[in-house]
Amino acid sequence: MIEQKIIKYILEELHGGQSDLEILPEDDLLGSGLVESMGMMRLIQFVEDENEIKVSPQDMTIENFMTVQAIVDYVERSKNNG
Amino acid sequence: MIYLLPHTITQSARRFPDREAFRSGKASLTYREMELRMNQLASVLHTLNIKKGDRVGIYLNRSIETAIAIFGIMQAGGVYVPIDPKAPVARSQFLIEDCDVQILITQPTQRRNVKKILADKKNIHTVVGLPEMEEINTISWASVFLASPIFSLPFRILEKDLAYIIYTSGSTGQPKGIMHSHYSGLSFARLTADLYGMTEKDRVGNHAPIHFDISTLGYFASPLVGACTVIASDAQTIFPASLGQLIEQEALTIWYSVPLALTQILQNGVLADKELPDLRWVLYAGEPFPPKYLRRLMQQWSGARFSNLYGPTETNVCTYYHLPAIPVTDDPIPIGAVWGNTDYLILNEEDKEVETGTAGELLIYSATQMMGYWRNPALTEKSHYKVKTASRQEAAFYRTGDLVREVDGVIHFLGRKDFQVKIRGHRVELGAIEACLVTHPAVREAVVFPVKEADENLSIAAGVILISASTASVNILLQYLKEKLPLYAVPEEIKIVTDFPRTSSGKIKRGVLATTL
Repeated sequence: MIEQKIIKYILEELHGGQSDLEILPEDDLLGSGLVESMGMMRLIQFVEDENEIKVSPQDMTIENFMTVQAIVDYVERSKNNG
Repeated sequence: MIYLLPHTITQSARRFPDREAFRSGKASLTYREMELRMNQLASVLHTLNIKKGDRVGIYLNRSIETAIAIFGIMQAGGVYVPIDPKAPVARSQFLIEDCDVQILITQPTQRRNVKKILADKKNIHTVVGLPEMEEINTISWASVFLASPIFSLPFRILEKDLAYIIYTSGSTGQPKGIMHSHYSGLSFARLTADLYGMTEKDRVGNHAPIHFDISTLGYFASPLVGACTVIASDAQTIFPASLGQLIEQEALTIWYSVPLALTQILQNGVLADKELPDLRWVLYAGEPFPPKYLRRLMQQWSGARFSNLYGPTETNVCTYYHLPAIPVTDDPIPIGAVWGNTDYLILNEEDKEVETGTAGELLIYSATQMMGYWRNPALTEKSHYKVKTASRQEAAFYRTGDLVREVDGVIHFLGRKDFQVKIRGHRVELGAIEACLVTHPAVREAVVFPVKEADENLSIAAGVILISASTASVNILLQYLKEKLPLYAVPEEIKIVTDFPRTSSGKIKRGVLATTL
């Protein structure tokens, strides 16, 4: 499951496994401060490596990366088009 | 007459009631609405018994509430203190304690952080912007917006009264609070409005968070002329493509940010397909803009004029340089000339004025100068140089700590005074080495810093971020420097990294380079 992998990455890699955190697929990652700018760059790298896709500058937008759900949708679109 | 910063809102609400004052994402306020919101918050603060000069913390992401908080606090006679929600909790707690913040203004998304801050900061008695929280008085934004906008303050506020405190990281130790008055803020607004011919038709892009004084263009100068400020959201600032989109879709006429944001927009903002016919001025400040990127951006945005603003937070802005043409060489861009209502000195190490063309420290005496450092008279004293004026008054010039050289009336920035190191007896300007590294086509960004060796001697090291496609090696870069610099100025070591440690406003944390890179 891409969704769970992304959530796990945010919790474990970006937040160092803080136990009191919970992330839902529709949570606003950026507005809530769950992911900061450096974290987002790492997250994009992770998504690229994990799914063997390349995110172009055009695609690095709020719409594609605001929530875990949006990222999952984006990855699926990219794979289908690739 | 306008003599306080909130008067700009009141005046524009009368002149342009239905023009947009602030916009962020889908949220937007006209001047009429902005005046109402400002007065509602001020009235709530009044009922909380705020006294003249009380510090109120703003703990908000970039949002429309930021504008309401800034003006509501000042309208109530208070002093706004931006606290960066991205900063470590301990730093926020330090600020709150240092200037005795008793009221904190925030938003529900910050709930978790606010809880941590409050865990051992008992001086805060009320949190505005959260619906409810255990053991502390809270007032939600919804109830602020139901409050009466009518109130009457039991004291008078004058233009020389304190308006805001911005904390900056001191080069050593604790953050220091820089105090600015309404007079300073309004002087900045008037000077920029005049310099860039701002009118109510302008749409100003606000990229900087409010703990960074670059934000004062959008928050102070726009309301003075009735212009609209478009506040980029935190999410937009993360994605250069979204920022490029924002400039285009919001038809921004003026943009003001650090060069880094502009470099990112240039590299990843997908600019090729964007027409920006409305963009008149691109202003930048905070750091030198590497000419190789500035050149490309000026070619891309050929319809806009570019202006380099310079000034430590202690003076907000004090010099400006309008680029006369696209730079052809990689020489650093001058900082230009002092702007209105500003005097300056260039002094040598004995505090004697240098001859024209000789390097010295820049000192500034201006209308936009700080009142001093919060509760630190010793540091305030140390940072100023007093001159007797003709009227036998004392003028306290602020020591910028920056080395400059004036040639034909144009001031050139050479680097920080404390950024000069002695290597084997040679005086080395670290900034000059950085500037040299960045001229290499493979280098995106470079930092050069001193490292203390085991024998207490200093050596120089560099950190480099390469452009994404580059495979340049450390040896190639060292060879390049050897061709351009005296041997003693070539770093002992160059590390290729993916990023540097930075503050939330994008500035490089120089103090920690030696230990983190």
